[in-house]
Amino acid sequence: MKNRLISVAFAAALASVGAVSADAADLVISMPNWPSGQATANILKVAIAKEYKLDAEVRELGTLTAFNGLESGDVDINPEVWRPNLDSLIEKYVNEKHVVEVAARGIDAWQGLCATPDAVAAGIKDISDLSDPAKTAVLDTDGDGRGELWIGAPTWLSTGIERVRANSYGYAKNLTLIEAEEDVGMAAVDAAVATGRPMVFACYAPHHVFELHNIVRLTEPPYDASKWKIAPASDPTWISDSSAPVAWPATSFHIAYATAFAKKHADVASFLEKVDFTPEEITHMTYALQVDRQPPLEFAKQWVDSHASRVDGWAKP
Amino acid sequence: MLMAAAIGLGPLVALAAQTQIFDPQTRTWVDYDAKKARQYYARNKQVPDAFRRQVVPFRTAEEPGTIIIDGNQHFLYLVQPGGQAIRYGIGVGREGFGWAGIVRVGRTAEWPTWTPPAEMVARDPNAVKWANGMPGGPDNPLGARALYLYEGNNDTIYRIHGTPESWSIGLDVSSGCIRMNNDDIIDLHSRVKIGAKVIVLMQGAALYKGV
Repeated sequence: MKNRLISVAFAAALASVGAVSADAADLVISMPNWPSGQATANILKVAIAKEYKLDAEVRELGTLTAFNGLESGDVDINPEVWRPNLDSLIEKYVNEKHVVEVAARGIDAWQGLCATPDAVAAGIKDISDLSDPAKTAVLDTDGDGRGELWIGAPTWLSTGIERVRANSYGYAKNLTLIEAEEDVGMAAVDAAVATGRPMVFACYAPHHVFELHNIVRLTEPPYDASKWKIAPASDPTWISDSSAPVAWPATSFHIAYATAFAKKHADVASFLEKVDFTPEEITHMTYALQVDRQPPLEFAKQWVDSHASRVDGWAKP
Repeated sequence: MLMAAAIGLGPLVALAAQTQIFDPQTRTWVDYDAKKARQYYARNKQVPDAFRRQVVPFRTAEEPGTIIIDGNQHFLYLVQPGGQAIRYGIGVGREGFGWAGIVRVGRTAEWPTWTPPAEMVARDPNAVKWANGMPGGPDNPLGARALYLYEGNNDTIYRIHGTPESWSIGLDVSSGCIRMNNDDIIDLHSRVKIGAKVIVLMQGAALYKGV
């Protein structure tokens, strides 16, 4: 999802750029505005202080600004770079400019559609079920006989792709596609589960919703590069020009760091290459911050304490 | 309240979602119409069980104190710690509340003054005498308390308010915003904080983006 938030995060970043206190810290870790990025940014801060006695400033920055900062030297580490969604930035900063490194190890992620248990019980298990009006009628929330499907926030890049997928698969004909902020979509899931109502919605993992509720991913045909025809989003007609009647491509996210920083602190760069969070841990992190409302730095201190030997292992040459 | 047309939401299609009551024993939804509701209320002096104030399991990432309004099911949830919420029954303004989004409680009032919108004054002779405001009281359509919903610092003109027409809880009523029994709105008012986040999931709302 993270890449979906570029436009919002970028605006926030613009506001914060310039408020740099150059003498305050040994390095700067950019922090996204979503829970897993907040958790991992702070875990890296605490772990690097533990292993290398370096003081890291965690600074909330949007993805684009973070990449610019990695190039300019204002930022040293970006804890969460999503692929393939940000491959164009990786192409620019890693392959062309050679100013950023992306850790080879990634965390597996996933994007697609999910169903509440009551939707599954109503017979909606595969994406093809969404093309059956008799089945999708149970998703109706406004009394017009057509089901509703939340496809994401208006600012997310993925929301447009979900619209493309709905058109390509054909279920856009009998479902009303809803765009609303993620908090609205997730609260709708909460309310649907609480009252035993079926709901289908766009989802991604790792995400705390999988710990909050017994959510089921809809099955669908696997990703096929030959069928995934997504036009550039800069084109005003990109949605109608695109076609994607298959699952999303495999997704992962990675730590990135500045090449200049790696030259200065090869030991820390080696450490970053060894960080091996699992998707389950990321889910727990998002749950701890988003649901249990633990402060990110406090959470990070506890996490590093309770995983001391593992963190030490990352620091071994 | 009652201002959908005034703020240009356009044609409010498909807002006639039929009210149903969830029967937890049979796990089915039972139709609930205005006539039956009046009869039920006349017999029992209260709304059906489903619409009475109660603590229910409600797992959410939202912070305790957040209000979630599910207009389709006619429930308002006040999130509590520990995976629970206080659930209240609500009546929903069929004409005036057709959006989804996130707002906040900007201010509250006890026994609020009600001022009918200009459109109502123009079409309803009974509203003319209150064109400059009807004082708060038992007959006032806003009931005992009102929570004024703001987007940023701007009043959305939507309210969560009480009603003297208790039988209308659980229904898509002909006018109004989110209405609650006076006892319930007094209870909610006593618990809610200014600035509380309000998430609106409305029937048909989904057809609209934001407020």
